[in-house]
Amino acid sequence: MGLFSNITEKLNPKKPGEVVAKIAAITDQDVLKQLSNVMDPDLHKDIVTLGFVSKIIITSDANQFYSVAFEVNLTTPACPVKEKLKEECIEQVMILPAVKNVDVVMTARATLLKAPSGGLDSLAQVKNIIAVASGKGGVGKSTTAVNLAFALAKSGAKVGLLDADVYGPSIPLMTKPKPVSTQSENAQLVEPMESHGVKIISVGLFNQGSKASVLRGPMAAQIIKQFLSGIHWGELDYLVIDYPPGTGDIQLTLSQTAPITGAVIVTTPQEVALADARKAVEMFQILKVPVLGVIETMSYFICDGCTKKHYIFREGGGQKIAREQGVNLLGEIPIESFVAASSDDGKPLVINYAQSQSGKAYTEAAAQLVREVSIINAGDVGALKQFSLMWK
Amino acid sequence: MDTARVREISQIDSRHLKIIWTDNKEQIFDVVSLRRKCPCASCIDEWTHEPILKAEQVDEKIRPLRIDSVGAYALSIHFNDGHRTGIYTFPFLRGM
Repeated sequence: MGLFSNITEKLNPKKPGEVVAKIAAITDQDVLKQLSNVMDPDLHKDIVTLGFVSKIIITSDANQFYSVAFEVNLTTPACPVKEKLKEECIEQVMILPAVKNVDVVMTARATLLKAPSGGLDSLAQVKNIIAVASGKGGVGKSTTAVNLAFALAKSGAKVGLLDADVYGPSIPLMTKPKPVSTQSENAQLVEPMESHGVKIISVGLFNQGSKASVLRGPMAAQIIKQFLSGIHWGELDYLVIDYPPGTGDIQLTLSQTAPITGAVIVTTPQEVALADARKAVEMFQILKVPVLGVIETMSYFICDGCTKKHYIFREGGGQKIAREQGVNLLGEIPIESFVAASSDDGKPLVINYAQSQSGKAYTEAAAQLVREVSIINAGDVGALKQFSLMWK
Repeated sequence: MDTARVREISQIDSRHLKIIWTDNKEQIFDVVSLRRKCPCASCIDEWTHEPILKAEQVDEKIRPLRIDSVGAYALSIHFNDGHRTGIYTFPFLRGM
């Protein structure tokens, strides 16, 4: 409470020998007392006990009327009773004498506020965040995200995989993750599932069966925000995020909420895909997220009768866009029947078909990715990953 | 491309913010001017880039409540007039 009383003293300095005013000055304590009548219907405690109230600022005008402003920090941005709570807060504070105006800011970043120096709690121990994105859908982005994640894990890194494709979460099918029974240190954070040592979380894991997610953009973006702040990742060397295709709301939210180390752009070789991949590269440039490289999928097909490479979707598209954008081509992944089969069976290529052409290509791509990440990190020495500065 | 990021961010006095960038450049910002130059769509017209917010509409007494990082490329300032939509990219700040 020391902080609060300091603010009040600054705003309403007590002069020595001051005669008590006709209307007693309102203090932070009075405001908190009123707000302790506001209950959170889900947590069954009042919002003051829960520590939701912060930054109380009381100002008075010449006529001895008071304006009260404060923040209410909810645990979830999608709180269904947000408006109701806000109304109750205003109602309670208006009860105080001579209060003319109440200004409540509802926020939902409780985890952030608990760690003002570090930022998002759940990402605090994550060293690198890799975005796997594409302009066009259906280019094998999720397959790439999965295989990069598992290849990184195989090389000994601690890896997490976040399926941010709200509308078409395919990671659960591709990896068949299992829940791990650990006693959570933080009851407010969700434990990710695991598959071959990779921590996995997906919207698909919360959506029973194969129901479609029919959501408007803002809702989808909110889900993503919750995902970024609500998962107990623990210590990770790499968090691979499987972006939804395109350059919309969710992609922006992801890049604005999490401190992305760099992005990998996935594309097939033909011009139709390249045109969209360029847009994805441009989006990351606008957001100042370094592009770590391009991975070309469905590069060619080797039939079992001969060893000739058949360039079904044209040749060299990935190389072309990489050169054009001044980034590296991290890999060319051929079409092999077990790329699709391994995804359908939940057995990642780099684990189960490590010696296949595509398995080797992904393993090599992951190794090159690691090099690119360390180059970025070397140039970023001393940069603050996330910060919050409270103005005094 | 200017890729410098924030190395240190601190409050100097009641209206000045100091940022030391990763290339060691130091800058001091007046928070009132920052509010006046807010780059958000309700302060600057998205198409014509004409300012919508007039300098005189911003009170000299305006102060931030908090300043947060946005991704790895910008910061946002929540001002005590309730305005919080401006995203100040690092290159934008460095060009001020």
